[in-house]
Amino acid sequence: MLQAVIADSHWAIILILLPLAAAVLCFLYARAANIIGVMTLSALVLSVAALGWQIRETGVYHHAIGGWEAPLGIGLYADGLSLLMLTITAVAGLGISIYATSYFKQQDAARFWPLWLLLLASLNALYLSADIFNLYITLELVGLAAVALAALTGGRDALAGAMRYLLATLLGSLAYLLGVALLYHGFGSVDIAILATQAEPVPVLWVAFGLMGAGLALKMALVPLHFWLPATHASAAAPVSALLSALVIKGAFYILLRLWLEIFAPHSGGAETLLGLLGSAAVIWGSLQALRQTRLKLLIAYSTVAQLGYLFIAFPLSTMAGAAVWSAAGYLALSHALAKAAMFLAAGNLMRFGGHDRIADLDRVVQRLPLTAGAFALAGVSIIGLPPSGGFVGKWLLLEAALTQGRWELVVVIILGSLLAAAYVFKVLGRAFTQAPVCQKARAVPARMEWAALLLACGAILLGFLAPFILPLMDIGDPFSASGVQP
Amino acid sequence: MTLLAWGFDGLLLLGLLGLAWKALNSTDLFSAIALFIAFGLLMALVWVRLEAPDIALAEAAIGAGLSGALLLAALARLRGMEGNVTSNTGVEEAPNNIDARLVQWLSAILLLPVLFGLVYGVLSLPGNAVGLSAEINANLAASGVSNPVTAVLLNFRAYDTLLEVFVLLLALIAIWSMGSIQFNRSIETIGKTSLETTSSVLDTLVYLLVPVLMMVAAYLLWVGAHAPGGAFQAGSVLAAACVLLLLAGWPLHRLLTAMRLRLLAVAGPVVFVSMAAYSLIAEGALLQFPPEHAGTLILLLETVAALSIAVTLAALFSGGQGQHE
Repeated sequence: MLQAVIADSHWAIILILLPLAAAVLCFLYARAANIIGVMTLSALVLSVAALGWQIRETGVYHHAIGGWEAPLGIGLYADGLSLLMLTITAVAGLGISIYATSYFKQQDAARFWPLWLLLLASLNALYLSADIFNLYITLELVGLAAVALAALTGGRDALAGAMRYLLATLLGSLAYLLGVALLYHGFGSVDIAILATQAEPVPVLWVAFGLMGAGLALKMALVPLHFWLPATHASAAAPVSALLSALVIKGAFYILLRLWLEIFAPHSGGAETLLGLLGSAAVIWGSLQALRQTRLKLLIAYSTVAQLGYLFIAFPLSTMAGAAVWSAAGYLALSHALAKAAMFLAAGNLMRFGGHDRIADLDRVVQRLPLTAGAFALAGVSIIGLPPSGGFVGKWLLLEAALTQGRWELVVVIILGSLLAAAYVFKVLGRAFTQAPVCQKARAVPARMEWAALLLACGAILLGFLAPFILPLMDIGDPFSASGVQP
Repeated sequence: MTLLAWGFDGLLLLGLLGLAWKALNSTDLFSAIALFIAFGLLMALVWVRLEAPDIALAEAAIGAGLSGALLLAALARLRGMEGNVTSNTGVEEAPNNIDARLVQWLSAILLLPVLFGLVYGVLSLPGNAVGLSAEINANLAASGVSNPVTAVLLNFRAYDTLLEVFVLLLALIAIWSMGSIQFNRSIETIGKTSLETTSSVLDTLVYLLVPVLMMVAAYLLWVGAHAPGGAFQAGSVLAAACVLLLLAGWPLHRLLTAMRLRLLAVAGPVVFVSMAAYSLIAEGALLQFPPEHAGTLILLLETVAALSIAVTLAALFSGGQGQHE
């Protein structure tokens, strides 16, 4: 009975409509925003679980909105890849939300929740859309909400960072939209599945891919388009930094990956080499910059630039071993989301505690704030890619693919990136044990904020053991098969 | 005739490029905004020439009209904050002149290949696009309206519009989250600085124009079912009436207290989401309208959406959040 209900319900639609309604509620009744928000997030985690069960039992979810089938109407579509991204959003989102209930004062909470719930709804809508124009609208919503969240603290740095972010994200959206227009004109549809069958290697396809790829790369801050990310992510409020680094960036990556797999991969013409090259540059450059930083939040932000590079290294490897490499990239995205959220939340705790984020003056936080220091260390383990963690599984699968294909340059980049990550994580942890020269007054940090960071970090570690369970879920509906090799 | 059309199109194109260039190059923010508004009006003409009257209406009302008003309101507030903004930018630019030039040239060189790529891509397209008009016309009868644009926006792709309505609400929430200006006080600053001396002329204008604008909005809403028009156009015309009232110093804030303003702003999104949820339960698909009721449902959706759009745009213009009782 229960099983029939779960199998027949529209969980995917709940994932979109529920946060929209909750955002409106929070906007009207600001006083209850915390409760509404956490309850919504909890409901969303359950809905994602139900959706996972549903598509594992009955195959991919497809819904023709308005009853109009594809070229005319818009489709919703959920397979293993969508499920992965929805899971990342719901789980990391819940952790960050619980943290936010303690972090924000009443007045700020009233401003935070409607924006975050709208961001959540648009991310979910993005992961479920099967239509490139609809994806554009979700991309706009995501960008606008993210910019407003980044400006929430209201300081000079935050406003400047948010303005730069706004210009970057608008430019990215416009480039993407231009690509949509070209594809529609060239192939007469905006439905991804139809485009996949219609696409031919003609100039308009390459121009469209160039525009969409560049726009999305700008939104993902792929080196050399990363100029906006560090300032924006470092100057935002801690929960917002976590949302931006862990979740928002992944939205653009999902679109790029989906378009690549379905439409562009068969006609790529060597674009994957360029993407791999930029990804490698991002890993090295981002890590080196992270190592140079003296502020903790800037260090973590540059680490995001570096870790995103790994997702692009998967592109050149995927031509030979499609599905395995994309599973690795998906796993990396998942564990990065949890670990990076934990790191930013831990940094928020440290800032609340000491009133600053200067790495040199961390002053024995290991003894004074053990849970937070533990959260940072565990998240660091996953970011570096040490066993047993989610980051290890992802990097190991990627490394294995590079080794079997004899791509030694990528092997070197992957290992070097890990070594550099170890260097910058230990740079922070080392300072956490030593006494700082100046004496500092310390403020109490609510236990909830410490536990939220620690639990997210533990999640990133736990992923190391869950691979046999999660990897098959990712493969539901064969999302990665399109780039499989024809020998 | 064709020669005349070619000449007209050529003039439009040159005018567009020239206005865009002047607007980007202008050091005076006020004249840049004026040029931007003129650009929007020419753009509306271009849409007319491209036989897209719906977009032309939207462009004229939103692109030229309300965006221009929003920019001017922002400029007025900037000037109120830190003296004369325009003279500031003029002075600051002098020492950085060479740097700015270098950046301009570098970006121009970087953009050239993009331009060539675009031109090449567009020229390689087949002249007559495949498009979906055949499909749309085949299903028009079941959509409840006879204007294909409205059929697409409110029925075939109503989900897009649902999200778009939330974009507008999000913009309002985003702007309100940046600061807390009182609804009435912000209007006073705009009204007093620019328009107090001309109040009797303005009052007459308000008495004449506001009823007309309301009529036009209602007409656009109604006519959207079978001719160019619809919620966005009607909403922005209604918003223009609100802006006019605000400028003339009408005490709109007494009518739109904080909670009423919020309720009106969310009315459109709420009705959309409720209808989506209801249709999922009753019809089995998100935003599926039974053909016999589709026309009524679309009109209902559009009316509420137009109200929310108007209130939201007017609130964006005033910048304030409304007075708490």
